[in-house]
Amino acid sequence: MLLSLLPGRLFWLAAAAAFVVIGAAGGAVMLATGGFGLLQQSLIPAIIASVVAALLIGVVAGQVNAALARTHEKMRADYERKLAAKTAELSHRQVELRSTLENMHQGVAMYDAEYRLLTWNARFREYLNMPDEFFSRERSFIDYLRYVGQRGEFGKQDIEAVIANRVEQLKRVHSFERTRPDGTVLEVYRAPTPDGGFIAIYTDITERKRAEQELTRAMEAAEAANRVKSGFLANMSHELRTPLNAIIGYSQMLQEEAKDAGQQDFMPDLEKIENAGTHLLGLINDILDLSKIEAGKMTVFAEETNPATVVAEVRGIIAPLAEKNGNQLVIECPADIGPVETDVTKLKQSLLNLLSNASKFTKNGTVTLAVARQGDRIVFRVSDTGIGMSDEQMGKLFQAFAQADSSTTRKFGGTGLGLAITRHFARMLGGDVTVASTPGKGSVFTLELPLRQTDTVKKPAAMAQQGKRTVSGNVKGERTVLVVDDDEAVHDTVGSMLGREGYRVLHARSGTDALAIAREQRPDAITLDVMMPHMDGWSVLTALKADSTLADIPVIMLTMLNERAIALQLGASDYLTKPIDWNRLSAMLRKLGRREAPARILIVDDDPEMRAVTRRMLERLGHSVGEAANGEEGLAWLGANPAPSVILLDLMMPVMDGFEFLERLRQSEQWRSMPVLVVTAKALDAKDHEILNRLTQKIIEKGSTTGVDVRMAIREVLQQRAPAKATAV
Amino acid sequence: MAKILLVEDNEMNRDMLSRRLERKGFEVVMAPDGQQGVDMAASESPDLILMDMSLPVLDGWEATRRVKASATSAIPVIALTAHAMVGDREKALAAGCDDYDTKPVDFPRLLGKIETLLRREGKA
Repeated sequence: MLLSLLPGRLFWLAAAAAFVVIGAAGGAVMLATGGFGLLQQSLIPAIIASVVAALLIGVVAGQVNAALARTHEKMRADYERKLAAKTAELSHRQVELRSTLENMHQGVAMYDAEYRLLTWNARFREYLNMPDEFFSRERSFIDYLRYVGQRGEFGKQDIEAVIANRVEQLKRVHSFERTRPDGTVLEVYRAPTPDGGFIAIYTDITERKRAEQELTRAMEAAEAANRVKSGFLANMSHELRTPLNAIIGYSQMLQEEAKDAGQQDFMPDLEKIENAGTHLLGLINDILDLSKIEAGKMTVFAEETNPATVVAEVRGIIAPLAEKNGNQLVIECPADIGPVETDVTKLKQSLLNLLSNASKFTKNGTVTLAVARQGDRIVFRVSDTGIGMSDEQMGKLFQAFAQADSSTTRKFGGTGLGLAITRHFARMLGGDVTVASTPGKGSVFTLELPLRQTDTVKKPAAMAQQGKRTVSGNVKGERTVLVVDDDEAVHDTVGSMLGREGYRVLHARSGTDALAIAREQRPDAITLDVMMPHMDGWSVLTALKADSTLADIPVIMLTMLNERAIALQLGASDYLTKPIDWNRLSAMLRKLGRREAPARILIVDDDPEMRAVTRRMLERLGHSVGEAANGEEGLAWLGANPAPSVILLDLMMPVMDGFEFLERLRQSEQWRSMPVLVVTAKALDAKDHEILNRLTQKIIEKGSTTGVDVRMAIREVLQQRAPAKATAV
Repeated sequence: MAKILLVEDNEMNRDMLSRRLERKGFEVVMAPDGQQGVDMAASESPDLILMDMSLPVLDGWEATRRVKASATSAIPVIALTAHAMVGDREKALAAGCDDYDTKPVDFPRLLGKIETLLRREGKA
């Protein structure tokens, strides 16, 4: 606007200014000529001059005007060209945006401040299956929610309450998962926009979910297989050692007896039985060791030791073996070698392996153990003058079950595992074992270890524990679940599943940890594995329920077998068999995880003991409790106090029994719909049941599980009264 | 001569170990499960107990705990177990065992342990 006004305005200003200036100049010329007495003669020329000047000014002004108009035109054209370019660019952008939206794999919708649809893409329509009417400007997101609620998708929850809740959520960025009736799983992400509306993005995560579930299943299968393997090994160890114990023992005993009886003839055969038994025992031990190493269950206990002492002990064990083959055993170990920090048992076993090999494969020669310090390492060198090995033989040397060749086994015995284990040990201790050999000349095995263990090696258990997460999931989540399992894979899977659902997840790897963490952090719920070493799930559950500060934390047992009865008897809120059904676990936690709002509860019972126990339990849950000893007192209490949320009612009471109390209660307008839970030891007949079913919410029999049942029933009643947080649209 | 209570459920091992101990001059009484072991510790007043760990009725750890928690607490207990697994030694000692040996038994080594404990008690 300014641009188009400016040239015109300027022109008139310029013209007016020029006229005044030129007129004044003419007047001045006139006065000057008149002043010299030539006024009469000079008047005409002066006028002419003025007219000429005016004409001239007109011409000049016209020209200026034309020039300005041309400029104006040029600018306008320029402006229009730019406008067109901008418009083209805008429409291009529009196309770009539209194509982007339409080609996205996600459903996108934008709503304005009144929550009416502004923009959406085809996938959004497809995902939501929203009736056409909701795409009109007349209808808002809230209308749609109401429609969804009326279709029954909010279950038993109050539709308006759910809507209020959803609308509240729209003010923040939030996301959740929603399973559609056809089984597809959508991840819904919503974020407020600056103009007061919001944007919603729907992603189909069915595939991802399926893959995750498959992965979980595969992992659980692998875990199960691994457990079977570990169990098998432990059992095998026990089952094989027990008869072996008898074989070795009896053969030794018979040797003693044969010697005493002077029956030396039996000795060689008895020795063979004993040797075979001992060999078999060595084999079992080695296999167990190796499987422990492979399972990562072998731990290092580093301690400071004098290598000279270790070497002396090893010498005592190996000397008879060396002598047997006519070998000379030479030990070269300086007395002042200095201390070493290492795992003594593993060092000793490694040296024994190397020395017994050397003694076995050398006849009438020399076996030497030389110990020396080299910088920050200690080197044990075992050399022999035995049969030696080819390069090919050396290549297979450290592999499990691979001796130099199969004939070696027949000739020299041995399990073929010793060197593999020795190398594993050496590497666990931060060192290594290497070999050099010449066939026919002998071999040199070099075991070198660091003088000090690094912290990682020194405290593998503690370090591993530290490396493991103790908290995961939504760290700022309102609700906390403590996962107790000795199996790391369960922590990973349950942790990530609960994390996605917005829980803060605490991790305990043992029963002891679980109790400590539960006391410290007071989680909203606990998932508890049954099969754990040292302290099994049942013991943990019992301890939790015995601790008055922890007893009210709901516990879900995760068991391999269907042990529902034990679980519930010991006070678990629920149980799940492994493999874990995520949807069920999630539903259970949703049900349990909600902390009940403190409520007023009236106990009507003539047994003061029962009232006291129930009161303590309810007060621990944060409720306030009123007591009445019979129906009449109950009615009086109700008259004098604000209405309670629930009444716990005994049936057999003096003065006014439970039935009469109920009749009176239900006659009153004010108390007609008040929830009543009957807690009774009375044997109920059909008529009693009919009356109670009509007038009360639930009948709980007095017995060993009364406490749990009452707690669950109260929770149920309170939840029905205060609709729970909505989950997903 | 010292009296040894051998608590072991495997009949062959019981027979073999008892005969070898008797050959060395010990008087041997035997119990086939943990409960009988605890009972005989009181009724037989042995000088030493050899306790298998995987026992029926009452396992060796629990039986040892009970022996050590009653009037029989002064009787030394040597744990014998086929589980040569990490932590078994600690578990046995935590239950109150005075010493520990793995099965199959290395008889001379076991004799050494028995004699050491009996000497400590002034019974050898």
